[in-house]
Amino acid sequence: MKLKAIKRTTALFLGLAIMASCSEDFLEADGNGTFVEDQYYSNEMEAFAGLTAVYDVLGWETFVGRIAGLNSASDDFYAGGGSSTDTNELQVWSNYTLNPTTGPQGEFWAKGYSGVFRANILLVKLPQVPMSQAKIDRFTGEAKMLRAYFYFDLVRLFKNIPLITEPVGINDYYTIPQVAPEVVFEQIEKDLTEAIPNLPVTVPAGSEGGRMTQAAARALLGKVYLWQNKFTLAAEQLALVNGTPGATSPYGNKLLDNFAELWNVNNKFNSEAILEITHTKGGNWGAWDNVAGSEGNILNQMVGPRNYRRLDTIAAPDYVSGYSFNPVTEDLFNAFSDADPRKDATILNLKKMVQDGVAAYTAGYKDTGYFLKKFAGRERNRHTGGGAFELNWNQNTYEIRLADTYLMEAEALVRGGGDISRAQALLDAVRDRADMPSIPATEQNIFNERRLELAGEGHRWYDLVRTGRAGAALSARGFVTGTHEILPIPLLELSNTLIVQNPFY
Amino acid sequence: MKLKKILFFCFSFLLFSLCVNAQEVNVRGTIVDESGLPLPGVSVSVKGSTSGTISDIDGNYTVVAPSSATLTYAFIGYTTVSEPINGRISINVSLQIDSRNLDEVVVVGYGTQKKSVVTGAITSVKAKDIENLPITRIEQALQGRTSGVMITGNSGQPGSSSTIRVRGTTSFGNNDPLWVIDGVIVDAGGIGFLNQSDIQSIEVLKDAASQAIYGTRAAAGVILVTTKRGQEGTLKVNYNGYSGFSRPARKLDLLNATQYATLRNESSVANGGSILFANPASLEKGTDWQDAIFNESAQRQGHEISLSGGNAKSTFYLSFGLLEQDGIVATEISKYNRKNLRLNSTHKVKEWLTVGQTIGFSHEKNQGLGNTNSEYGGPLSSAINLDPTTPLIVTDPAVIGQSPYNEIGIVRDEFGNPYGISKDVQNEITNPLAYMKTRRGNYGWSDNFVANAFIEVEPVKNLKFRTTLGAKLAYWGSDSFTPVYYLNGNTKTVQNNINTSNNRGFGWNIENTLSYTKSLAKHNFNALIGQGTYIDNNSKGSSVTYFNVPYLNFDDAAFPGSHPELDKNSSAYRGVEHRVVSLFGRLNYDFDEKYLFTGIVRRDGSSRFGSNHKYGVFPSMSAGWVVTNEGFWKESKTINTLKIRGGYGTVGSDAIPDFAYVSTVGPGRNYTFGNSPTSVVGYSPNQPSNPDLQWEETSQLNIGFEMRLFEDFTLTADWYKKVTDKLLRQQRIPDYLGAISDPYVNIGKMENSGFEVELSYSKKIGEVNFSISGNATYLQNEVKKLGRVDFLDSDGFQTLGSILRIQPGHAYNEFYGYSTAGIFQNQAEVDAYVNSSGAAIQPNAAPGDFRFKDLNGDGKIDANDRSYIGNPTPDWTYGLTLNIDYKNFSLSVLGQGVAGNQIFQGLRRLDIANANYQTAALNRWTGEGTTNSYPRLIDGDPNGNFSKFSNFYLQDGDYFRIKMVQLGYTIPKDIISKANIQNLRLYVTGENLFTFTKYTGYDPEIGGGALSIDRGQYPQARSFMFGVNLEF
Repeated sequence: MKLKAIKRTTALFLGLAIMASCSEDFLEADGNGTFVEDQYYSNEMEAFAGLTAVYDVLGWETFVGRIAGLNSASDDFYAGGGSSTDTNELQVWSNYTLNPTTGPQGEFWAKGYSGVFRANILLVKLPQVPMSQAKIDRFTGEAKMLRAYFYFDLVRLFKNIPLITEPVGINDYYTIPQVAPEVVFEQIEKDLTEAIPNLPVTVPAGSEGGRMTQAAARALLGKVYLWQNKFTLAAEQLALVNGTPGATSPYGNKLLDNFAELWNVNNKFNSEAILEITHTKGGNWGAWDNVAGSEGNILNQMVGPRNYRRLDTIAAPDYVSGYSFNPVTEDLFNAFSDADPRKDATILNLKKMVQDGVAAYTAGYKDTGYFLKKFAGRERNRHTGGGAFELNWNQNTYEIRLADTYLMEAEALVRGGGDISRAQALLDAVRDRADMPSIPATEQNIFNERRLELAGEGHRWYDLVRTGRAGAALSARGFVTGTHEILPIPLLELSNTLIVQNPFY
Repeated sequence: MKLKKILFFCFSFLLFSLCVNAQEVNVRGTIVDESGLPLPGVSVSVKGSTSGTISDIDGNYTVVAPSSATLTYAFIGYTTVSEPINGRISINVSLQIDSRNLDEVVVVGYGTQKKSVVTGAITSVKAKDIENLPITRIEQALQGRTSGVMITGNSGQPGSSSTIRVRGTTSFGNNDPLWVIDGVIVDAGGIGFLNQSDIQSIEVLKDAASQAIYGTRAAAGVILVTTKRGQEGTLKVNYNGYSGFSRPARKLDLLNATQYATLRNESSVANGGSILFANPASLEKGTDWQDAIFNESAQRQGHEISLSGGNAKSTFYLSFGLLEQDGIVATEISKYNRKNLRLNSTHKVKEWLTVGQTIGFSHEKNQGLGNTNSEYGGPLSSAINLDPTTPLIVTDPAVIGQSPYNEIGIVRDEFGNPYGISKDVQNEITNPLAYMKTRRGNYGWSDNFVANAFIEVEPVKNLKFRTTLGAKLAYWGSDSFTPVYYLNGNTKTVQNNINTSNNRGFGWNIENTLSYTKSLAKHNFNALIGQGTYIDNNSKGSSVTYFNVPYLNFDDAAFPGSHPELDKNSSAYRGVEHRVVSLFGRLNYDFDEKYLFTGIVRRDGSSRFGSNHKYGVFPSMSAGWVVTNEGFWKESKTINTLKIRGGYGTVGSDAIPDFAYVSTVGPGRNYTFGNSPTSVVGYSPNQPSNPDLQWEETSQLNIGFEMRLFEDFTLTADWYKKVTDKLLRQQRIPDYLGAISDPYVNIGKMENSGFEVELSYSKKIGEVNFSISGNATYLQNEVKKLGRVDFLDSDGFQTLGSILRIQPGHAYNEFYGYSTAGIFQNQAEVDAYVNSSGAAIQPNAAPGDFRFKDLNGDGKIDANDRSYIGNPTPDWTYGLTLNIDYKNFSLSVLGQGVAGNQIFQGLRRLDIANANYQTAALNRWTGEGTTNSYPRLIDGDPNGNFSKFSNFYLQDGDYFRIKMVQLGYTIPKDIISKANIQNLRLYVTGENLFTFTKYTGYDPEIGGGALSIDRGQYPQARSFMFGVNLEF
């Protein structure tokens, strides 16, 4: 009996030893759907997913959002919010107490380079993807255009940045130097120039709206030239985008008749939009700890009046209670003529509604009673269903629209000694749409017009810095000329790297 | 063939002995204990045979045995006695209580070993130490009782787990010890299913020499739990039950309404603002939010009943437990209840074949506050931060008709009165009573099955082959309903939802061991080889939410059969299996129990590493010398026994996510094109690959001794040095690389060293049994290397940014912030604080503001002036146990404490200017000479008194706590034996009766990933319970 037991034991043990020996395979974990980079980008679907990931970064909108930040830093808005430290990154930019540890720089730096990285990896992978050459070319054009877009923001915000145009090997992680801004601009111009012929002239708005087009790339290129004061080149590109002032452009763009219609959230990809950043409420997003992951537009929530209540449901519009960020300065409020319909389309005058007793709200920090109407969320547009409605607003934003390219070209013409009558026609077209009389196309007038036309869309601070007007407009806020034109580089980027902090930070 | 011969020899020997001893007699007798009372259930066996019996209720026994045989009398807790029959027919025996535990056995992993020959550092807690305690989770049984193990409660929420550190912080990643329950590896989070009265023993393997047998995952320590098995003998029924109540031990001193209004006015006016409250005095005391949520008599009860017994062939242990505990904070939404079932049995099928199994099942249901230990909402945080000027409820019809009380979703009490809503304090801070209503009924649940089965074959004497199959199957999930609510302008929802989430996790392991024990003359050998396969995290789950359902509260809510698709939300996942295969061996050798040696080697392969480093080998060696067993050692009254031991070994850790070594491509990088309401799912790489990623290795040197002194003292001391190398952690790579997440890298090195002492004294003085034991642990930790970076900033707090830093040359996680040097008492002092160029060092300062130290001397205060200002990890942890028995009375006291750490007190929301203050704010600076420690209050805080993290936020965390006091009375046996009751004991227990500390928060015991960060810790309750032990 015991002998049997021994035999059984031996057999069992041998069996188990065999089992143990096939362990090589056993230790390869089953990925359960996990993709590995080496094997990815193997078909068109995966390439498109990779391209979508580059676009994704365009839409990142956290509490430290791009538009909210640029607005806060300008003379048109305060950071606002619930208190002096609410979303402190915006507060310190608004009052220019930012330093390497505190400020919006971390957000913008990471955003820009995330986009760059995703474009870089895709550009390396695309040539090997088994799909039509036309598709490869288009995807390549889009990736380059997007990379240019991210670098343009990075170089404007930080000026001294590393230029990375391909995936970085493990040994080079810490040894990438900053380059002169001119080198970055050169790359941006190159990317855009190369992208233009590969991009479609137009895209079907319903299915592909938001994807890069030739018009968008040219407009961006014009903007890039203008930033560098290359007026002739800027005017040349922008003229191609604009066509005849007031008429439909070669790319099919035309100013909307009614300025207020620009802010109808359902009016997506309208004829005025050239480069539009998309948002949707269909994501049912509910993760408050990852606001950037939402495809919604958090700005709609942020700029709404705090604790807004309609005392008279007819006279008081259906705004949703928001976080009262970006209260409008008295200065901007007064800059608009009361006759200008853009005033009412841009600014929500709650001060008056409270006086009239039709609405009430809780004053936030730096409250002025004026709110950014272009983006304040409306009850009628509020998301229902899954997730948190606060994170699921679906208003798209205009990165570049036709009125902007009109004014940029006008400025390039005036400042570059170009065709003044065309500049006048461009300015007139913008003012005419707002039923405003013609004024001379002087540099100052065009500049003022940009402020009114584009108020709250994130252009003002860049315009002030670009034209050297920031010191005058913002010194009362604490702006120091020569320092605050750019942001500090996020402190952590300096440790163990070759990165050098920007001057005076 | 040789084997056959041996077998034949053995067999014939057996036969031979049977022939010789064929003459049998009937032996009878009575077995009594020390005090002469009869002992039932004592196992009486005939040495060298399988026959035997059990003593009856009166301690009597009868056994048939060869007249030359020897009888063995064994009873758990008593010294075993052997009596040669020598022709007698009546043998009465008196058994002594085995107090010395000289032959105490400890569980060492894949077997047991006599404590006297163990060469590793192992601490045990035995059943008798913890049996009668009302403990909710078993890790609490270790607190204060074991040296080298720090147990810190994570929360006073009933049923919540503790942070456990065996000999400090071993790793940058996982520091939770490996729990092995009857041979089944269980995640630290999953031990809540255990019922403490089912536990036979808990062993903590502290040094590498003893851990190495669990090589792979042993680096953070190993805790072996052995559950009870039945004893041969009569059926035994045990009941242990208690019932009592809990209450808060301490409340914070917060400002009342008048004080609050006064200080808010002051703060606002100081900043050039208006007077906020016209007449503070008229507000009187206002609302005490703590009173509103604390429960002075939260119910608590537990019942456990077990049935055990068996015969020479089979034994079993069956138990059922029930536990219900209400939380002391917001009891309506803070409850825990658990039901346990256990069946353990062992069967001796043949002389050479034993099979057995353990099955534990538990069902847990818990209701939690939500946002526990968080400053972002939750009733406790709200009670601390909400202004006392807001009323509990609003009854004035004029107010109710107005905003905000006319909002949809206003929460009301049972009489229809709206709960008060603060005008001033918003964000997540809400009326806690209203908040409670929005979570009413919501609960989480889990069902756990943990089981193992084994077959042990002993084909040749002392050669054992054992196969163990272990499995754990866990189901867990939650059910909730969120009504439409309006708690304040920021915290509200206009659509209700109902959610259910269900998860399943399955893991199993199979282990085969072959062991052989042999003694040749005085040489004793025990060898073990084994092989194991482990699969973990075979998990999946899903969560479904329906919005806008036609229900108003949890009790009525259900998932409607038909519901619009747009109002449904769901998610699901499947886990990646974690797989490990292992080969291991151990050799124990001793010569005459004098010279001891143990060698262990284990080789593990893990699915978490790439082909470059899939396998890790973990060896260890240890040796001991029992000096007092030497011939030259004269019997001494001073040192009765002395064992010196030492060991060195290496263990590992693979506690990183799966696929950390490759670059994976992940989804969720979505973008929307066109007018589609849904987004396209984008994919991009996650983190760069690191094919050279390898095992984290922890090597430890341990030297210790165990001795008994003056007969009554035992002393154990250990010194160790533990070095963890190739520490696994994500290494921050610059953001300019654009990766979603940082790659895992073998980043650094860390050292823990310390010593541990356990000293106990027990004495019988007349009728008083007295024993006291204490333990103390000293620990020092130092980070030695940190890869490419100079430092790592870890946990942050609100707007202060990071408050902890990890840097070589310092302990893991030290507080890093500004240092204050008093308060500017007047303008002259502010003006005098200038740098070398005459510019103000603190340009925004005014009298009443902190003077920050310009540590780097650059003439300004900025981030570079921060330094290490405290350590959240205690230097010392200690415990003290006292037991006194007198006649039928027994008293036991457990005290426990820590020393040498600092606590970060972050109770107040920094981003809410109107948040309430603790009364410490009454001692703020109000003029020259008023104080040098609490700055002035001013909205906007221009000097950063509160918005810079400084030593102002730190307090000493030393405490000593009388954790438990129990007074018991055993009803005399002569009274109860008539009722057929073996033992009846009544007791009263008090928990957390006293805490001695200078810390001003609720509770100085603050667990969590980084210790000692008080975000509004749910405090431990003070409880009083009455209990009964019954055995029949």
